[in-house]
Amino acid sequence: MDGIRVGKRVVGTQSPVTIGWENIPKVEGGLLKRLFFTWFQPAVLFGLVAFWYYAPNSIAKASTAIGIGIGFRVILQILELTNPRHQSWQITWKELATDLFYVGLAGTLLNLAENYIGSDVAIEAIQGSLHLEKFAWFTGLPLLVQAFLIIFIFDFVQYWMHRGMHNWYPLWLPHSVHHYITQLNVHKGAVGNPVELFLIGLGIGGLFDFLPRAFLLAGAIGMSVGAYQHINVRFNSPRWWRWTFNTTEHHSLHHSQDFESTRSNYANTLIFIDRMFGTCIDGEAELLGMEGGRRMSIREQMLYPFTEGWKAYKERATRAPLFARANSSSAVPAE
Amino acid sequence: MATPAEKVSPLRLMDWIWRLRGEVPLPAGQTADEALGKLEPLFAHPGTTHARMGDLIAVTKKDQLAQDPLSVVDSGVLHIVPAGEGAVLRYNLMSRALLWCFLAPLLFLGVAQLTIALGKLEKPPTEEKSKKDDKKKDKKSEIQLSPVDKFLGAPAPEKPKDEKDKDKKKKAEEEAPEGFSPTPAYVFAGIFAALYILGRILEAILIRRLFQRTLA
Repeated sequence: MDGIRVGKRVVGTQSPVTIGWENIPKVEGGLLKRLFFTWFQPAVLFGLVAFWYYAPNSIAKASTAIGIGIGFRVILQILELTNPRHQSWQITWKELATDLFYVGLAGTLLNLAENYIGSDVAIEAIQGSLHLEKFAWFTGLPLLVQAFLIIFIFDFVQYWMHRGMHNWYPLWLPHSVHHYITQLNVHKGAVGNPVELFLIGLGIGGLFDFLPRAFLLAGAIGMSVGAYQHINVRFNSPRWWRWTFNTTEHHSLHHSQDFESTRSNYANTLIFIDRMFGTCIDGEAELLGMEGGRRMSIREQMLYPFTEGWKAYKERATRAPLFARANSSSAVPAE
Repeated sequence: MATPAEKVSPLRLMDWIWRLRGEVPLPAGQTADEALGKLEPLFAHPGTTHARMGDLIAVTKKDQLAQDPLSVVDSGVLHIVPAGEGAVLRYNLMSRALLWCFLAPLLFLGVAQLTIALGKLEKPPTEEKSKKDDKKKDKKSEIQLSPVDKFLGAPAPEKPKDEKDKDKKKKAEEEAPEGFSPTPAYVFAGIFAALYILGRILEAILIRRLFQRTLA
């Protein structure tokens, strides 16, 4: 495969990818269908922002947010079933059960572990030992600015963690298993080793104080943008949306079987962070995964980072030191 | 017909949990050889190995792809047997996905119990908690909305009311501490119980339909 030049890199040499928004297919069908898949994303985003901005305090609670979140996921799941983007990504019973198992792990055991070893706990411990209060720098700002800062601070840290995972082997090991997914579906964001899910959830947001309503707004924006990252539905996302937010297209490229394409589009919600650091590629891919699209079982997903890590450690431990190798049999006698 | 060995096996009584059994009649005039020949392409998917022995196909699967029509199957046997004037395809397939899905509610119920147990250990002394809450309350009462939000009509942050707070505190003391609620684990136990019932019925129908269509 020849590949496509994007800036300094050539993508799509190992597996087909589509580059450039003008080459990405649009939703086809009747007027109503096209209108729905063009306006659904902005309508949900602005609708939820308005709701959380004006909801009375008696409604503006975390429990309401959880209810809306579950309802939204159910709607997206129905959209996936009725309007799949690719037949080759169609959700099946086994795939749904597998994905929900990871969602269940993240929602229960991982949350439980974060009570003891999460970044918020660590920050609270540091603040406690240094007798520091949270930085209340932002609480006087408008709510939407606070919400943006919450998302940006989390996404910025997450961007570098994710980029680090693709560039440093010890971090790649727990993240690698997430790249064995062979198709995108709405719950696929949770598929991965719990160590990776823990690492990607680390943040420094706990250092700062924000108004509770700002957290709810940030949660709603994050949900109504981030939920599409792994979805098997095609939307005609507006140009400003594609410039600002991560989309299924961006993320499918990140999961491509083409190695060079996977080294792009690291941000979770705000794709403009990738644009800031030159790692954004606008495009999409259908063939996803690793090792030619091998599907990894749950058991292997749980064990692989440790077994591969052990193999790498043993290989390094038994390898002769660099200078010893240079001075051994390969040394050429001087004339 | 079940063999004597199968009759005595206690597993046989409950293997309906992870086994999909059934029979599909062969179209009139179709021989066993023709039928198995038609079925063989179903086993050409990645991760699938199969062996044909006379009127029988034994199959095993590993790392099945999601779009493999037999992705829930891990191993099994398909056998053409005479029935009346014709013949039927009799299949007996094992699915680990069904077994794990059946067991998943137990796992999440266990997680719920673990969460409750850890929550009991983590419950802070009431005095310490009320001091913390008072501190938070003092800070909360100072917080005001930005002028932009006031102008746009966003509701002001709630100021803690003592009476209401006392009720809330009482309620919170009875409930699990923050981060130790077993509710999500119970919800997932319920989700997987429902998923198992759905999968056991749906996959049996889909596999039967797949064989019927392939043989037709």
